[in-house]
Amino acid sequence: MKRFIIMHEGDDVAIALEDAAPGDTAQVRDAQNNAEVCRLTVHERIPYGHKIALRSLPAGCHLKKYGAIIGECTQAIAEGCLVHVHNVKSLSADIPEAFKHEILRQMGLEGYVS
Amino acid sequence: MTCSATSDVFEGYLRPDKSVGIRNKVLILALDECCEGLARQIAAPFAHTVVLTNAYTCMMGGNEETFHQMKAVAQNPNVAGVLILVMGCGSINPEWISEPVRAGGRPVFTVNCQQNGGTRKSVELGREYAARLARMAEETPRVSAPLASLRIGIKCGGSDTSSGVASNPAVGAAANLLVDRGATCIGGELFELIGCEELLRARAVSPEAGQKIVDLIHLEQRRWSVPGVEVETMSVGNSLGGLTTIEEKSLGALHKMGSRPIRDVLRISHEGVELPGEPGFYLSEATMLCGASAVNYAALGCQAILWTSGGAGFNNSLIPVLRVSGNKALFNDDMDVDVTGIMEGGLSVAEAGERVLASLLGVASGTPTAIEDIADASMTLYQKDRRLESCLDKCRNR
Repeated sequence: MKRFIIMHEGDDVAIALEDAAPGDTAQVRDAQNNAEVCRLTVHERIPYGHKIALRSLPAGCHLKKYGAIIGECTQAIAEGCLVHVHNVKSLSADIPEAFKHEILRQMGLEGYVS
Repeated sequence: MTCSATSDVFEGYLRPDKSVGIRNKVLILALDECCEGLARQIAAPFAHTVVLTNAYTCMMGGNEETFHQMKAVAQNPNVAGVLILVMGCGSINPEWISEPVRAGGRPVFTVNCQQNGGTRKSVELGREYAARLARMAEETPRVSAPLASLRIGIKCGGSDTSSGVASNPAVGAAANLLVDRGATCIGGELFELIGCEELLRARAVSPEAGQKIVDLIHLEQRRWSVPGVEVETMSVGNSLGGLTTIEEKSLGALHKMGSRPIRDVLRISHEGVELPGEPGFYLSEATMLCGASAVNYAALGCQAILWTSGGAGFNNSLIPVLRVSGNKALFNDDMDVDVTGIMEGGLSVAEAGERVLASLLGVASGTPTAIEDIADASMTLYQKDRRLESCLDKCRNR
């Protein structure tokens, strides 16, 4: 069981409190009251501090975290998958493409670059 | 340990203007940079003195924002009395500060170094005045003051993954507790709120306040976006740590400010320092630059600062800073409040907020913070450059 935390009820993502690997069960607790909210299967590597999709998210949908919109999904994201710069863009000022490549490279996720 | 968050009083120092300090300091103001060394020499034999130096030189023109901050800091609730130092050849008149300070009821002395016969004689006279101010400070009446007498600044620094998940929500919960009990909390760092404009507008108590917030955030964004000069809104490190968009980063930062309605955004400018009116939650132009932000908060009349971080030991000599950390890997004995339990498991944000408030009440009543009187950040007086402001204005409609 790997621990995750959800910041607001209804958020689309939870944050990994420890590294999680495909096949792990993610146990999601609510930050506000420390109560367990749900469990789901991890389908991709989610490093500590990174986000897992709590439900399948269609391409173009607005991503909710902290009860607010933090960006737009640039592709469909399946439940249990990593949510980050390769499948989300800012609605304000997106990270430049070159930076995204570098981030993914340093995370060992070069295969994710579309 | 009993949770003193259920009590709503602290033991403070009653000032003539009815504000309540949580510390009792003698402030030595070097109105020009030439008096910095003089100020330090005068302060040397005395505990509980704080030196604030204007390093922007002795000109008034272009340095109004610095001047207004110094004048406001001299009237901070933690200040018992003031000694003003000038070299004597500058254009900042010490009476522009001594008069309002005296009118507010605080004792104030001035030393004009040249008129007094030079540096050696001014060290001597300055120390006599400092001794008198220290004795007067000791006579300050102590009172049991309600929590509502507190005005608390909120800041973050050395932010990492734990900030958005643990320490910022914990301080946000404490801010809500404070505001609900009649105290005032002030946030700032408008640069860090880029991407949150419409959320903040919705939280404002009026459309005018909402528009003012949005305008000042946009202005701050333009101020730091000069072509050819690199500025970090989001670093690769932020994204390696888990942050995907500027909205996510800003929302994480915003969480330390709780959720209560925003009464106004207080300007700090060449026109003056706007002060809070009714108790409640306020934004302000307090800068994201750490050392300078503490002086901004002192100018806004705050007695203390709640500061979220991974492990950075930031402190201010005049207004105590409480360091709140949720990062177990970086947690050290510089920290005042441990909220690592949010990420490790077992501590809810609500409980963490109560823990922050309890710690704050202890500090307000005199308990030193973890690094109080050990090592402080610079008392940096920062101002927006009027020349740049003028250019931004001219560029507005391009």
